[in-house]
Amino acid sequence: MARISNTPSNRPEVIQLLIDGVDRYNPDNVSILEEYLASQCTNRECDAMANLAILKLYQFNNHLINDQVVNNILVKALTTLPEPDFNLCLYMLSEQMANEEAVMRLVKLQDLLEQCRYADFWKTYESDDYFKELTAEVLGFEDSIRANIANAVSMSFQSIEVPNLSSYLNLKDAALSEFIKAQGWTESSNTVTIPVNKDNEAKTTVLVENIKFE
Amino acid sequence: MNYEEEIDIGAEVDLVVSAYPVEDDVLEEELLAADQTTQQYQEVQIPEVVKKFILYFHRNVLENNVNELHSIYEGSFNKLTEKFYAKESWPDPEAISPLVNDDQVFLTLYRELYYRHIYSRLTPTIEHRFHSYENYCDLFNYILNSEGPVNLELPNQWLWDIIDEFIYQFQSFSNYRNRLKNKTEEELALLRDNSQIWSCYSVLNVLYSLIQKSRITEQLLVSKNGGDMLEAAGEYGSRPLYKMLGYFSIVGLLRVHCLLGDFTLALKMMDNIELNKKQALFARVTACHVTTYYYVGFAYMMLRRYADAIKAFSHILVFINRTKQYHTRSYQHDQINKKADQMYALLAMCVTLCPTRLDENIHSQLREKYAEQSNKLSRPDEAIQVFEELFQFACPKFISPNGPNFDDPEVLNRAPFEPIQHYTKIFSSDVQHSILLPTLRSYLKLYSTMGNAKLASFLDIDPQQLRTLLMVAKIRSRQTKWVEGTLLEGELQSTSDLDFCLKEDMIHVSESKVGRRYGDWFLRNINKFQDILGGLELTANTA
Repeated sequence: MARISNTPSNRPEVIQLLIDGVDRYNPDNVSILEEYLASQCTNRECDAMANLAILKLYQFNNHLINDQVVNNILVKALTTLPEPDFNLCLYMLSEQMANEEAVMRLVKLQDLLEQCRYADFWKTYESDDYFKELTAEVLGFEDSIRANIANAVSMSFQSIEVPNLSSYLNLKDAALSEFIKAQGWTESSNTVTIPVNKDNEAKTTVLVENIKFE
Repeated sequence: MNYEEEIDIGAEVDLVVSAYPVEDDVLEEELLAADQTTQQYQEVQIPEVVKKFILYFHRNVLENNVNELHSIYEGSFNKLTEKFYAKESWPDPEAISPLVNDDQVFLTLYRELYYRHIYSRLTPTIEHRFHSYENYCDLFNYILNSEGPVNLELPNQWLWDIIDEFIYQFQSFSNYRNRLKNKTEEELALLRDNSQIWSCYSVLNVLYSLIQKSRITEQLLVSKNGGDMLEAAGEYGSRPLYKMLGYFSIVGLLRVHCLLGDFTLALKMMDNIELNKKQALFARVTACHVTTYYYVGFAYMMLRRYADAIKAFSHILVFINRTKQYHTRSYQHDQINKKADQMYALLAMCVTLCPTRLDENIHSQLREKYAEQSNKLSRPDEAIQVFEELFQFACPKFISPNGPNFDDPEVLNRAPFEPIQHYTKIFSSDVQHSILLPTLRSYLKLYSTMGNAKLASFLDIDPQQLRTLLMVAKIRSRQTKWVEGTLLEGELQSTSDLDFCLKEDMIHVSESKVGRRYGDWFLRNINKFQDILGGLELTANTA
């Protein structure tokens, strides 16, 4: 999961300089950032700060706005949940842009994901081809979403019934079993066991005050 | 996890105390004398007292007497404002120009005060706004584009106020520009033809130029990592005027980016300023200090890093509480109190979204001011409305970077775009996801294990919904928290003392308890005991 707080290790030097300096305000540089976004879409990475820089240029220069780019940025932000990237992008959009059909649809998807209503998310996503169109340019969209869902599940559950898991991941039978194995979980009868990690074990701890006498 | 951190602000309190200006007795006498001649005061004439003041002021500006200027600026100017100009503007700059031999530099500075006074006590007209902008351009042009650094020195408080007011007028103009409904034809024409006045780019340009000219970034790096300060500062940066303007511009940018909705960039601006450093430069001017923490806290809140936001707000609120007695006499008293109230509101929201132990004083103040709202925030049916109210009260006055599109023939009929509504909507829908969490927590606290179906019936939702709610709770309890490095960095940590896991249909809850804290109790009782002993000895001696 890419975090805004950590710089992606493969951010090119030229982008780093662009973001750090005043060149980021130069409207002529928008194409460099847009190309970088396109490469993020194909190689499945996410550089939130660079994408926010594009939105900032759009904010100041309305004539540069490219709807497709905005959509891709938002879709990319969906893949990094639970990071707040999606909301940060929304704050940078003007009201007009935010009321576009595409954006509102993506907000609906985000809403479902944030509420962990994964079953509903897949239902909505599959119900309309429009969504598949929106996310077409971002390769590996579904995989990233599944990875996030798997993360949420492994944080909360030590064991979960197969039907529930299947609805969360929108995978069945063979595909589901493969996924389970890939995550390092074990399947037996009708439940999947998730190995204990630091998030899903409920341990009582007592915090004791540490007073030293000197 | 939630140790109360020592908020050590001793050094910062000292700065406030030492900066308090000295009373100006001479002015007091003159004002008394002026009282006796008020019958002769005519509207057109400038009172003698004011004339003398302007001459005295001018002389000190020429001589770069920073200490005198500080007391003139903080004390005398405000007293004269109260006395003569509480409801009208100061004398026109043209009127006082002969008094100061047409000194353009002084007049530019005077105009800065003149317009600032209009903004705060009266309502500025569009001409005032335009002229004030041009005056700022003159001032910054003089500072940045003269041949070589200018030989001017002003008190830090004034330098901060210049930057602060500059951004404030920018914000005020953006809001003014958006509301087209009740404007005259003339005003609309002026707005349409002068889109470069108070434009986003020009404001940002000023702030970035001040930073570059003063090489404040290099200076901050040197003071952090060592090196040759003089070399880093360069010709301009080694002069206090430039250095402080550059420094205040960084805080200025933090503010502007928040106003425009770019919270990550706002925090990035503070990359080279260490917040926890003793004797940090921003602590020299209280208003700057408060502003910095307010915007840092707010940006963290929008990034959903509630734990970090709480820390920032707590720090500055403790500071404001401890230095209360010094603020009552400064004219910024009202401003600082208002910001404090806003921060309490934000704190109330953050604490609901991320329950944390607060410092005792802060907690009691919070309960005093926002008891009712805090309670409502935990109740699912009333919470959203209170969140929105508090958010709108406490948030900065957001602006949109561009004015209305005058090419659009319908522009006069459209409702103005209010950024604050847009942000409230996003914030509110985000908060919506956490609405049931306080109730869930209260139930989880009661049990160590519970069946999914049973808890679902308590909460009046079905088991599937409960499972999703539990996942939300789990995810929300893990936040990025600042550990070290720049403000944007951080590690994912748990911020809740309540933890749980699901084994198929059973929920296992664990709570991290804080062991009995005996240190504080012992200290307090030891002190009490010593007092009693002291009292006993006293009575023994006198008996």
